[in-house]
Amino acid sequence: MKFDTPATTNPIDQLKVVGQPVDRIDGRFKTTGTAPYAYERHDAAPDAAYGHVLGAAIAKGRIQSMDLAAAKAAPGVLAIVTAENAGKLGKGEYNTARLLGGPEIQHYHQAIALVVAETFEQARHAAGLIKVEYAPAKGAYDLAASRDKAKPAGTDDEPADSSVGDFDGAFGAAPVKLDATYTTPDQAHAMMEPHASTAAWNGDKLSLWTSNQMIAWSVGDMAKTLGIAKDRIHLMSPYVGGGFGGKLWVRADALLAALGARAARRPVKVALQRPLMFNNTTHRPATIQRLRIGATRDGTITAIGHDSWSGDLPDGKPETAVLQTRLLYAGANRLTRLRLSELDLPEGNSMRAPGEAPGMMALEIAMDEMAEKLGLDPVEFRIRNDTQVDPESPKRKFSQRQLTECLRTGAEKFGWAARRKPMQARDGRWLVGLGMAAAYRGAPVMKSAARVRLDARGIVTVETDMTDIGTGSYTIIAQTAAEMMGLPLQKVVVRLGDSTFPVSAGSGGQFGANSSTAGVYAACVKLREAVVKKLGLNAADAQFVDGEVRSGSRAIALGDAAKGGELVVEDAIEFGDLAKKYQQSTFGAHFVEVGVDAATAEVRLRRMLVVCAAGRILNPKSARSQVIGSMTMGAGAALMEELAIDARHGFFVNHDLAHYEVPVHADIPHQEVIFLDETDPMSSPMKAKGVGELGICGVAAAIANAIHNATGIRVRDYPITLDKLLKDMPLPA
Amino acid sequence: MADNVRFTLNDCPVEIAGVSPMTTLLDWLRDHRGLRGTKEGCAEGDCGACTVVLEREGRRDAVNACIALLGQLDGQSVRTVEGLRGPGGGPHPVQVAMAEADATQCGFCTPGFVMSALAHASNGGTADPDAIHEALAGNLCRCTGYRPIVEAMTRIAGLAVEPPSAPLLSPRTTSAAFDGAFFAPRSLDELLALRAAHPEALLLAGGTDLGLLASRERKPPKAVIHLLYVPELAVISASADQITIGAAATYEAAAPTLIEAFPALRAYLSRLGSRQIRNMGTIGGNIGTASPIGDMPPVLLALEASLTLVSPRGTREIPLDDFFLDYRKTELAPDEIIQSLSMPRLWEGETFHCDKVSKRRDQDISTVAGAYRVRIRNGRIEDARLAFGGMAATSRRARATEAALLKDGFAAAIAAVESDFKPLDDWRGSAAYRRQVAANLLRRLELRLAEPGRALEVEAL
Ligand SMILES: Cc1cc2nc3c(=O)[nH]c(=O)nc-3n(C[C@H](O)[C@H](O)[C@H](O)COP(=O)(O)OP(=O)(O)OC[C@H]3O[C@@H](n4cnc5c(N)ncnc54)[C@H](O)[C@@H]3O)c2cc1C
Ligand code: FES
Ligand code: FES
Repeated sequence: MKFDTPATTNPIDQLKVVGQPVDRIDGRFKTTGTAPYAYERHDAAPDAAYGHVLGAAIAKGRIQSMDLAAAKAAPGVLAIVTAENAGKLGKGEYNTARLLGGPEIQHYHQAIALVVAETFEQARHAAGLIKVEYAPAKGAYDLAASRDKAKPAGTDDEPADSSVGDFDGAFGAAPVKLDATYTTPDQAHAMMEPHASTAAWNGDKLSLWTSNQMIAWSVGDMAKTLGIAKDRIHLMSPYVGGGFGGKLWVRADALLAALGARAARRPVKVALQRPLMFNNTTHRPATIQRLRIGATRDGTITAIGHDSWSGDLPDGKPETAVLQTRLLYAGANRLTRLRLSELDLPEGNSMRAPGEAPGMMALEIAMDEMAEKLGLDPVEFRIRNDTQVDPESPKRKFSQRQLTECLRTGAEKFGWAARRKPMQARDGRWLVGLGMAAAYRGAPVMKSAARVRLDARGIVTVETDMTDIGTGSYTIIAQTAAEMMGLPLQKVVVRLGDSTFPVSAGSGGQFGANSSTAGVYAACVKLREAVVKKLGLNAADAQFVDGEVRSGSRAIALGDAAKGGELVVEDAIEFGDLAKKYQQSTFGAHFVEVGVDAATAEVRLRRMLVVCAAGRILNPKSARSQVIGSMTMGAGAALMEELAIDARHGFFVNHDLAHYEVPVHADIPHQEVIFLDETDPMSSPMKAKGVGELGICGVAAAIANAIHNATGIRVRDYPITLDKLLKDMPLPA
Repeated sequence: MADNVRFTLNDCPVEIAGVSPMTTLLDWLRDHRGLRGTKEGCAEGDCGACTVVLEREGRRDAVNACIALLGQLDGQSVRTVEGLRGPGGGPHPVQVAMAEADATQCGFCTPGFVMSALAHASNGGTADPDAIHEALAGNLCRCTGYRPIVEAMTRIAGLAVEPPSAPLLSPRTTSAAFDGAFFAPRSLDELLALRAAHPEALLLAGGTDLGLLASRERKPPKAVIHLLYVPELAVISASADQITIGAAATYEAAAPTLIEAFPALRAYLSRLGSRQIRNMGTIGGNIGTASPIGDMPPVLLALEASLTLVSPRGTREIPLDDFFLDYRKTELAPDEIIQSLSMPRLWEGETFHCDKVSKRRDQDISTVAGAYRVRIRNGRIEDARLAFGGMAATSRRARATEAALLKDGFAAAIAAVESDFKPLDDWRGSAAYRRQVAANLLRRLELRLAEPGRALEVEAL
């Protein structure tokens, strides 16, 4: 199905199942511990041997020699895979560094060997017996130090530079202006399930159970890396224990499981040990961001400029932290620039809301600073510079843009009017502050296909290679099919994450929910046609209600259409140029109250609220959880998350969960999510957009702004830890 | 001697043969027993994905399976997520509540949360938000943002859950040796005999430090002597003027007595590790580890604790002041065991306060910890013991600061911190930062003493 004209009324609009806060259909398996994750497929590969990954102990250089003799002789060892004996390997399109390093080493903890043994303990023990001699080379690990050498760099979707009007002239002439630089650190996905895979060969055919967000990409990259045809690979990822962008691609566990299984002639399973993950896998790269904003005295922005520096391995990509600045606020003169330095740290790549998440961390503090300079309320300042059109090409409208409504609703519900000037609110030992920020995230769409089957019992089964990484895909896809076919949820079966199913959008970039359900919608439209035809009904008045198809005076059980055999249809949603004609984005407003300890500068969140306008909400219950979860990740980014770099040896020092702190329960107080009513006919027949990433965009800045309101201290260097506040804290009285 | 580890697993007795007693419970459950509902997220006690429940004496205690060694479970009763059933054989009410509240997203953390929730409900945990936070501090979730979990917990707290089953195995009365390497004495005499016979064996208490050798470092110790089931080491007693805590008493077991005597420890102990860690970890282990950022040493130094050390050669008592020598070096002789620690109750006019400053509110190692016992009579400070962790290679008293405080008051004391400590400089905190925090904590202490009614504690938020 082609989607190239705005959606009109369709069966989804009935909202009998879609839009209802139904329970997650996979909740029962997850709470009882019966959902099988990739490392747990003993049912499918019962005699799997264990693989243990050895990571490089240098960040850059070469392996001079590798002595495997002792490891090979150790008890239980079945095989050892290294770059030397693995045969010729390609490199995946989505990987920057090779997944199996050697002799050249590209980053610290790059995998250099896999030991396969009968038991996990034996594999681990033998891995410790491998002796490696390195010839280390000098590397670059410090973004600030290599900033001068950075080069312009764009991505497939984002140019390195964008400009409109005369930024320099307008900024120079602006009566009120801000020129400030902000930094965000390297961050880790730290999903709870480590990367894990089980691989089994049957002849030249590979079955791979892996924890992965994007089935088709990963089949392609596995095929390319192994040098085999795509149809030789069966990849399955029905349950993913969190991804956040870290599992968009195949990683070392998957490749090494496949190579290990080939070498050992046995199924092999590999999980990356937690302390290896932080340097072995990808991370969100650090940024240095310079924001320049010029405005008239009444608070109209006349010039807005955003430069962002980030680093990555050679041939890597920049963090596109300027994305939102091109679209969020009005202003006649504009400039954005992306600059990239070569660094020899582990590979930088997507993490939840790449681009906007770090970009909003900077932009939304800058907006707060600017409001302060102008003597304007920060909510008012944003509303004053709202725009209903793409500020770079004013003929292009936003399909829906309720930023002002989000800001006003949030301000009212949160009690924003009670906010005082900095350092004026106190509650016992706590200095109390309120802060806010806008939320913005693009709402891209991607082609997505699905197959639906109807059987004689009237059960509809949906098959698509879409993944559920905790996002609720199983449930919203079931809701979509139930709505389309006039069925209760219990009559829908959803099967996901399998490369033998039609290719979906996959889970990433906030495109998954809208695109994949639209693909299921398309397939269901086709199934409805097939049912009507089979039953000899009149297509014009056929209705699918309560498990029946009704037309004229007739009412036939849906399952009857499959009496002579299962009906199976497949279709995809393909998006036309509506997304080009209209800018499609999601919006929101964050409000935060913090307390800062007057003596120690410990920061505690007290209240958080976000108001979101993100198209139709397909399931308010799971959507709320997604938003709360991303706000929490944003709170981590504001207050604690940081991969600390050892700039001499080029690795992340805090590479486990004891030292890479993510928020715990007590860090997260009262959180509230409000969804504004919105349906977006430009986005898809579902009229939905994504929400999974909107919640993280802006929240860290809202916290930073609240801390400023509490203490008068402006920290422009995330995370905002105590040491950065303490030296400037007002003396405790 | 061929003893096998035996314990009860989900109401069935199990006997372990052919698997090292140094294997972690988690590896055994998942790899040997085929029970994969319990997850591994970190293998070092940080995430709670591996949480299981020990059923003991009518209670259910959540512990981390990833750092619990099989040998430690001998005679215990373990319940995993697979061992939960609701009435009629369906999911347990705790599981239903979690699913209905959307407290599970990717689901990887969920079995661990379910077990922590079960323990909370079984032990009469309330729906009070602080109680819930404390019960769940050891469980990380990266997806849900915690609110839905708290909502589920609020419902669970009111549930009448079935009581823990009665133990199937009667406890051993004499020492056992598993695999010739894991020694589990049942009396002090047996312990001393084993210590003499196996000088190379490591002492193992709760294993929340040592378990990491098996779990994270993947280098299980060659031989251990397990202390948790030696009754003489688990004694907790309180007399009119003194508190004595056996070295092998867990934090949870010792907490009521300690808090009754020193109320400031209530908030402090709730932030030491997590519920899972406190259900296994011991104060003796905290001193034995002698980490410069351990939380108990500053408290015990300020409280003027003394240690009773036993060895095959006899018993001696030494003040804790003399115990820590240098970075992870102590007075403990190779054949000695910490038996217990004692501290005087507060005298008239004495108050005790303590602070833990860490990056994260819960489940985090201290950057700086401070503890202070001060005696004030007639408005004058007569005596002060101020101790800090995170400020030097060991936890230490701030002697110059104490002297300045007695002589010239708080302003002088704050100035003296500088001369007492050359703090560590690492990425948890720079030396300058630590020094300033220590000084500010003294300022807070001054406020506390001046206006005892004022809300200055962490719970005030
Ligand atoms: C996730 C996590 C969080 C933690 N959080 C904290 C925290 O917030 N604050 C904190 O202070 N610590 C923390 N710890 C460290 C640890 O829990 C404590 O140090 C605990 O008190 C150790 O006690 P244990 O009984 O588990 O010791 P074990 O691991 O059994 O032993 C520790 C050491 O002490 C020795 N030892 C034990 N008992 C004796 C004895 N009777 N005589 C002589 N030597 C003995 C052992 O030989 C060993 O060297 C944490 C650990 C983990 C895994
Ligand atoms: S696996 Fe993380 S605490 Fe045990
Ligand atoms: S649901 Fe994914 S980590 Fe908790």
